[in-house]
Amino acid sequence: MSGLGGELLASLRAALERLGAMARFSGRLLMLTPSGFLRFRLVVEQIYNAGALSLVIIMTCGLFVGMVLGLQGFDLLQRFGSEDSLGTAAALSLLKELGPVVTALLFAGRAGTALASEIGLMRATDQLSALEIMAVDPMQRIVLPRFLGGLLSMPLLTAIFIAIGLFGVQLVGVQFLGVDQGQFWSQMRGAVELGDVREGLVKGLVFGAACSLIAVHEGYNAAPTAEGVGLATTRTVVISAVTTLVLDYILTALML
Amino acid sequence: MDRSQQPENTLETVPDPLPAHSTATVNEAHRTHAGADADTSRAAVRLRDVHYRVDGRPVLRGLDIDIGAGAITAIMGPSGTGKTTVLRLITGQIFADSGVVEVEGRDVAQLDRDALYAMRRRMGMLFQNGALLTDLNVFENVAFPLREHTRLPDRLIRTIVLTKLHAVGLRGAVDLLPQQLSGGMARRVALARAIVMDPQILIYDEPFAGLDPISMGVVMRLIRSLNDALGVTSIVVTHDVQEVSQIADACYILSEGRVAAFGSPVELAAHPSPMVHQFVAGLADGPVPFHYPATDYRADLLGLTTPA
Repeated sequence: MSGLGGELLASLRAALERLGAMARFSGRLLMLTPSGFLRFRLVVEQIYNAGALSLVIIMTCGLFVGMVLGLQGFDLLQRFGSEDSLGTAAALSLLKELGPVVTALLFAGRAGTALASEIGLMRATDQLSALEIMAVDPMQRIVLPRFLGGLLSMPLLTAIFIAIGLFGVQLVGVQFLGVDQGQFWSQMRGAVELGDVREGLVKGLVFGAACSLIAVHEGYNAAPTAEGVGLATTRTVVISAVTTLVLDYILTALML
Repeated sequence: MDRSQQPENTLETVPDPLPAHSTATVNEAHRTHAGADADTSRAAVRLRDVHYRVDGRPVLRGLDIDIGAGAITAIMGPSGTGKTTVLRLITGQIFADSGVVEVEGRDVAQLDRDALYAMRRRMGMLFQNGALLTDLNVFENVAFPLREHTRLPDRLIRTIVLTKLHAVGLRGAVDLLPQQLSGGMARRVALARAIVMDPQILIYDEPFAGLDPISMGVVMRLIRSLNDALGVTSIVVTHDVQEVSQIADACYILSEGRVAAFGSPVELAAHPSPMVHQFVAGLADGPVPFHYPATDYRADLLGLTTPA
């Protein structure tokens, strides 16, 4: 019994230590952030890597999530005889939940893993040490632009995901299932408020900050071996997914 | 296309400013040169009674090293004797548990971050695998320190980078990416990057490891000629005794975290200590045992010992 208690205590301590290390890492990154905007070209490169290169997967998934939402929503609303509200229901669920959350999960899988493995490999192949010796701070030159690139990409990707998703809902609901087009759009315009849009974008920004931070942190602190880089990649996805869902609850509770 | 026709690995490609010698004559060339330039009495790097532990296990136990300014000093020793640790202490990546590490007369452990970075700007280091930035081509890799630390115009950066690449014989490879380079070429590009800021101290971590004989000869000759032409202090960490003996002015042999022997390559070859003799001659068995500590062989084979 005492063995189990000891182990629990040890793992709790390890978790707290990790959290502390993460907090220090974030603090350092936050202090460097203003200088990141001075060399914005580096950030733009990373917006391309994290954002533009994720577009295809985000758009494809957005379309299909929207189409499924169209089918399910239609089926559900038909039971109450209110299929004309499909536009409203779909827009609210996409804006407030599905858009930011699914985008964040995809972002962690596509861009987060790329960031973690890139930085981890740079650690494993001494590139980060080489920067240190060249009197260049790797946090500033490598980590910060990647963090900012991810952070700025996520709200944009979220917006694109939502837009394509709505197109998918409209495609299935209006074109295939015969919901009235006028009702679809006018009800949506009547019910959706600016606050709903803001909620989606704020969530996108927060999830982007969390996922990017987790990715660069895991990559930067990866063990300098093949196994270490693999582990960092896995941890990035797992921790990002859990963090996104927990944060989603907290943000929803705060903003409702 | 025409790049492939250039004989990159041959001695002819090497550059006018650093005249080509064959490796056999390197030592003679430097002896005359070193007399003029090297001031070995003045230490560029000084380690005094340095102790360092990793996870409670002592790696260095009272190490004393003086690295003469303008000379090539080799730090040798069997694997796991703390050679790389010494380099990391000198570059301020880690700090000694006790003792003093001085670079150009200043205690590395006392420097704040800015001073440490200023010190590193006067150093160049060649990593074992080159450690080139994989997302930049050869030109941008060599230009990297200039772009980070100076505001030189592009034209001037181009001139400096091409000069340094020419010095290592790879001016023709400016557009290649690191993954397109062979091991020897990558190390020469890394060398060009290490000298691009005209450092006072050049540090080489295992510069010969894993190279074919031609590349090894090229790198060897480059270390000597760069040392003499640029008047820098060179520190070479290696276990390639034969190679480094041809270019080094002074050698330290480390064993178990201390200096086991010090002297010129010739002096070390005639060193009385059996350990030094074993290391220099490359004997499999001796004071450094061939066998990892084990139980009695006969008893083990007959199954008389219990497995741990």
